[in-house]
Amino acid sequence: MNERKNSVFDGILGDNLVLASLMVISPVIICGDTIKNALSLIYAFNSITFISLLIGSFVPKKLPYTVKIIIYAVISSLIFIPVRWFAVEFYPDSIERIGIYYPLLAVNSLIVLQSEAKFFRMPRGRMIVSLVFYIIGFDAVMLFTGIVREFFAYGTVFSKVADINTTVSGLGKPFGGFIFLGLMCGVYRKIRSAIAERKNEAKESH
Amino acid sequence: MFLIRDLITLLLANLVFSQALGTSTLFVAASGRKNLIRTACVITLFTTIASAFTYFVDTLMPPFAREYATLICYTIIIGILYALFLLALSTFGKAKFQAYKKYIHLSAFNCAVMGTLFTISEKTADNISLRDTIHYFLKGLEAGVGFVVAAVFLAMAYKKLNSEKVPASFRGFPAMLIYLGIISMAVYALK
Repeated sequence: MNERKNSVFDGILGDNLVLASLMVISPVIICGDTIKNALSLIYAFNSITFISLLIGSFVPKKLPYTVKIIIYAVISSLIFIPVRWFAVEFYPDSIERIGIYYPLLAVNSLIVLQSEAKFFRMPRGRMIVSLVFYIIGFDAVMLFTGIVREFFAYGTVFSKVADINTTVSGLGKPFGGFIFLGLMCGVYRKIRSAIAERKNEAKESH
Repeated sequence: MFLIRDLITLLLANLVFSQALGTSTLFVAASGRKNLIRTACVITLFTTIASAFTYFVDTLMPPFAREYATLICYTIIIGILYALFLLALSTFGKAKFQAYKKYIHLSAFNCAVMGTLFTISEKTADNISLRDTIHYFLKGLEAGVGFVVAAVFLAMAYKKLNSEKVPASFRGFPAMLIYLGIISMAVYALK
């Protein structure tokens, strides 16, 4: 039970996909500058990753590693087709802005590499629960980045003008994304080590 | 003068500084000279050869299917190259295969490689006159060289960014991201 609890929360804080493993960071850096873009990327990432990994878990484990990796990439590329079709309906403006980062989500390292190294070694039920929390971890970072960068870079919240006197336009640029993500990683590590220290202290006092 | 102009052009089109593609692989590449050379070679090989093949996809693909079917075609091309490179490597003996295979695994479905293919395709779609195999091949090579340049920039500061002088929370990846951000800002200013 304890083991299950650990694996469930790993994806959100302990082993966050973006902040700890630095996976799928290009869309966060380049396109995570508005809430609309963030929501569109969240939709694409969630649907492609979840469905691809679920289908990929049925690929025979006996196949050679390289063949399995190619099959996972092909599955996610096929899943991308309906996902993009729906995205054109729901997020027509964001699709243009996100451009090449939309298809790149389909071959993200969580699907191509981590699936084999991490998820497919777990029983299917546990894999699904763990995967959901890894996805939530990505969503939280993406959404937070979108909110903060849009507010400070453009002075808007969900494209509506907010009451802010000074904007930092550089935050909406790629270099702003790099710097913001770097700062966020540092703060995340600080929080993580503070939690670990507190846990150790609590254990020692017992 | 020409060299400076070429260097500026290379920096402006750099897939890491201007598009943040392949950033996590860059961290692996910058961790040591051996990693840098091997990762850079494999990434360049993938971007160059795969780009030449994507020319055929871009030319033959009907416009209505482009947005949806390009990815699967590119994935198949990279998948075939991935298997072929591993097969070719295995002919050099077991020791070489064991030493180099991780770089092929790391580079195959990398953002840097796939992103390069899409970037070239996007740029040539705007200007059909650029659509020929040589152009695709050269652009793929340029992207690979761009990756090497970015890896060299990061490798120069790697030790300092991982030293004990940097606060523990920011040591390593966070400091490297901020460093890349500063270089990216300088490159942006060149535009």
